[in-house]
Amino acid sequence: MALPATRPTGAVPAGAVLSSDQLLEIYYYLRLTRTLEERLVALYRQTKVIGGLFRSLGQEGESVASAYALERGRHKDVLSPLIRNLGSLLVMGAQPVEILRQYMAKADSPTRGRELNVHFNDLEKGYLGQISHLGDMIPVMAGIALSFQLRREPRVGLVYIGDGGTSTGTFHEGLNLAAVQRLPLVVIGEYNHWAYSTPPEKQFAVKDLAEKAKGYGVPAVTVDGNDVFAVYEATRIAVERARRGKGVHFIEVKTYRRKGHAEHDDQHYVPKADLERWAKEDDPIDRYVQRLLTADLVAEGGLKDIDARVRVEVDQATDACVDEPLPPAESALPGVYVDPPAADKLWFKVL
Amino acid sequence: MAEVTFLEALRQGLWEEMERDERVFILGEDVGAYGGAFKVTDGFSKRFGESRVIDTPISEAAIVGAAAGAAHMGLRPVAEMQFIDFISCAYDMLTNYVATARYRAGLSTPMVVRGPCGGYVRGGPFHSQNPEAAFLHTPGLKIVYPATARDAKGLIKASIRDEDPVLYLEHKWLYRRIKEQLPEGEEILTPIGQARIAREGKHLSIISYGATLWKSLEAAEQLEKADGVSVEVLDLRTLLPMDDAAIIATVKKTNKVLIVHEDTRTGGIAGEIAARINEQAFEWLDGPIMRVTAHDVPLPYAPTLEDFVLPQTDDIVKAARWLAAY
Amino acid sequence: MARVDVLMPQMGESIAEGTLSKWLKKVGDPVKRDEPLFEISTDKVDAEIPAPSAGVLAEIKVQEGQTVPVQTVVGVLETEAGAAAPAPAKPEPPKAAAPPPSAPTPEPAKAAPAPAPAVRPSGRPTDGDGGGVQTAEQRLRTKSTPLVRKIAAEHSVDISRIPGSGYAGRVTKQDILGYIEQAPTRAPTHDAPRTTHIGSVEHPAVEPWPGDRVAPWSKIRKITADHMVMSKRVSAHVASFFEVDFTRVAQLRARAKQSYAERGVNLTVLAFIVKACAENLRKHPIVNTAVSGDSTIFRADVNIGIAVALDWGLIVPVIKHADELSLMGIARAINDLGERARTKKLLPDDIQRGTFTITNPGGFGPYAGIPIINQPQVAILGVGAIEKRPKVVTAADGTDSIAIRTMGMLTMSYDHRVVDGADADKFLADVKKLLQEFPEGAM
Repeated sequence: MALPATRPTGAVPAGAVLSSDQLLEIYYYLRLTRTLEERLVALYRQTKVIGGLFRSLGQEGESVASAYALERGRHKDVLSPLIRNLGSLLVMGAQPVEILRQYMAKADSPTRGRELNVHFNDLEKGYLGQISHLGDMIPVMAGIALSFQLRREPRVGLVYIGDGGTSTGTFHEGLNLAAVQRLPLVVIGEYNHWAYSTPPEKQFAVKDLAEKAKGYGVPAVTVDGNDVFAVYEATRIAVERARRGKGVHFIEVKTYRRKGHAEHDDQHYVPKADLERWAKEDDPIDRYVQRLLTADLVAEGGLKDIDARVRVEVDQATDACVDEPLPPAESALPGVYVDPPAADKLWFKVL
Repeated sequence: MAEVTFLEALRQGLWEEMERDERVFILGEDVGAYGGAFKVTDGFSKRFGESRVIDTPISEAAIVGAAAGAAHMGLRPVAEMQFIDFISCAYDMLTNYVATARYRAGLSTPMVVRGPCGGYVRGGPFHSQNPEAAFLHTPGLKIVYPATARDAKGLIKASIRDEDPVLYLEHKWLYRRIKEQLPEGEEILTPIGQARIAREGKHLSIISYGATLWKSLEAAEQLEKADGVSVEVLDLRTLLPMDDAAIIATVKKTNKVLIVHEDTRTGGIAGEIAARINEQAFEWLDGPIMRVTAHDVPLPYAPTLEDFVLPQTDDIVKAARWLAAY
Repeated sequence: MARVDVLMPQMGESIAEGTLSKWLKKVGDPVKRDEPLFEISTDKVDAEIPAPSAGVLAEIKVQEGQTVPVQTVVGVLETEAGAAAPAPAKPEPPKAAAPPPSAPTPEPAKAAPAPAPAVRPSGRPTDGDGGGVQTAEQRLRTKSTPLVRKIAAEHSVDISRIPGSGYAGRVTKQDILGYIEQAPTRAPTHDAPRTTHIGSVEHPAVEPWPGDRVAPWSKIRKITADHMVMSKRVSAHVASFFEVDFTRVAQLRARAKQSYAERGVNLTVLAFIVKACAENLRKHPIVNTAVSGDSTIFRADVNIGIAVALDWGLIVPVIKHADELSLMGIARAINDLGERARTKKLLPDDIQRGTFTITNPGGFGPYAGIPIINQPQVAILGVGAIEKRPKVVTAADGTDSIAIRTMGMLTMSYDHRVVDGADADKFLADVKKLLQEFPEGAM
């Protein structure tokens, strides 16, 4: 059964009953995502962030809104973010200082300097970071959803996949397995137009990702990914149905990747006009603010307060960890197995 | 003579083969319009057309499988793995299908699978791997791993011309750091299966390849100056088939051998090399066969951790010094 | 005021250098944190680089248009200490990171263990197994490596007789090749113990001054030099001096010289000394031993080595079973070994398995010397110059007078680890007595 696809309208969709506090909270997460990434860019250019930096500019709306529809808290719903779902991590309770530490490879990062950027997890808070091999998180999240099913817990899993990621074998196998088992899993397909430099027409032969999902026997909708309300509503419905045992649901969010694949990619293959148009006319945060103010749902001053609060929070988080040390060299050895507890230090290191 | 980087030399080799033989084509992610994540195929699409530089979906298994099919039909595909770490997604196709094709079915599969490998770049566990050990035990595949710009060019050309499937590993740390003078106007071909003496010596041999070849050369310099120890360095260049003759010759010459590679200790190909030396040159050994390798951990991201886990010049110096004094 | 370095960033894994295309501030300009400070251009991308902290641009180190490696310091900011980063100014020294409270990967084992012991190439089992279990070091000393074994087999050389300079005292390729090259001019060191608990011998380097001549050592000199130092380290050297009246020996020798010469033997005083020592080594076996680890090896044979100084170095040919030879046999052996030593015709066996050594500089030697023990023996006898000296002689009736006697000082250096003063003195006293009362019947 296909849900009605939602398109941008002037009114707030019915059913999305969000309190004023919640509306402000969503705004806080949107603003925090963007500001934190801007700080990361600065740190990257100051050589404090090591490795790569992948922005989610233009996609903050769908990341935050979809995560916001989950039941959050200890041992509730679980999501698996991709590299451009920083917003979803923050919604689930990851702290800015943890993100900064990850990027800067600090000894006290959640992975103790072992893994990059958002590749970290907290299964109690409800997030499981990815590995670089795209699609792999779908079968893994299917497994987490399977555990909910086996234990008869009213919990739901949510996993993101990009338009490019749907071309991988593990996407196919994971989605198929989850579908046939009717697992409580919501898949957010982010159609952001670019897989590195590869556009959708080189990636697949369908028009919408939702068409693919239907091939697995999974109810699928396509929504405007830059409409926070639309994404929230679609996810809320899907999550509720999954929680009631109705199996896998696929939500395609149409959005746009406004920066290059990573900070070192200058996006020369993207028409400048497209970038300008999306930035000016379809920025998810601007649209959200506009809707809030037009529908008189919040006061502008409240939003400005949040802006200021977020700047301070990001500054404080940066200052707290920017000068922290990197992990000590030999801390690389423990933890490959439970037993033995550490890998051997090789002979030439002790000559 | 022009000075070119390792990456430019590789690009030249690919370009020359594309020009020379219209059956050669490239497929992979972001290779066409973008010119490749590392710009190896920059300008190729414009010159050779989109049909010969194909931007694929993110589907490594399909890329390798499709390359095999095209190769059966007489084309010469060069399949790119954006990072060689993603070759794991194509493991089934490459080992079960491609490597066995000739043996079980008489199917000719002249294809190349190439991709950037290696660490020292703070890429973390999925952008720094050296996968050669996973494929060394796969009869039917060839594996090459150039260290110099000259061999980057010579080996890509030789791999494309080879009648068998070749796994071509190009070290991303070397891409822009190695600059060499390469002769223009002459065909540069490096024979597959042939190692090269990178430095002559008398007291001890280091056998290496890839980025650690350069660290071994640095170590050899230091040992000469500080200790008066004369170190011979052998660049394997091809890992499969291995150049036993060159390995044995250097062992017979110096009687002491240190094997250095960036891959982990356990299961790394140094074990295979040591076994061959033991079998073929036991009586010439004046000391145990030793190795300098990475530690047996997934590669961590933080610089302090990566620097410790991976072999450094200083490690090689210490190890060689120990062996020289044995 | 703190100075903060501004670096050329790394934008991309394989990027090794960047070009500083434009400075957006001049020296002396103030700059805010994160404010764009300069522009760069690399193979992949052009970018504006923000200032790492607030302050004043104090120094520009890289000019516009220059290309430098990543991480190069391109400029320096002067900041107010504490103004830039409220965080602690000094990064703490690396500490063991505590695992985060959440359980999931990649938490290491709870006890934060020390890294596992290094994998040592010589993960050799330690001694103490009893029952003849050989340690790796023992095997190494007797068998060395495949290459050395191969060379030893080709040249019929016993590895255990060659001093080893390698790991655990093993014989290296250089050691065995050097040994073979030097045969038969063997240096008196091949029976030396090969334990390395005393470490290898290193001779410190010294700066030559202008005009000095630096002569690199020959192999035999090197072996001698190393052995001398090693012997002093191994043994607890003590010396005893016994003055011996050789008048009787001189007389006996004078009388028998002719008949010995007719049998092709040159009879020397040294032969008498060897004979006296040989008999008494049987009587005082503690002086005819070797030390091995915590044990004393009592040698079955009495093989006396005679140190011979040749133009090219010191060598010690050995009279085997000296206690079984007559004076004539000893004298003949001394002649023969001396001759073959001078003409480089000694065989490896001639210079091996000595149990005691005598060094006799002869006529131009000193009054007394303190020789160095020839390892692995425990004693060496030095013979001082034998010459006429005044001596107090007590007549049978007890009256003393001064007589002219042929005297010589015997100095024995011995290893006090196993030879105590009383042992040494008893031995020497008996040697002296035998020499001074040498029986005619033993001629």
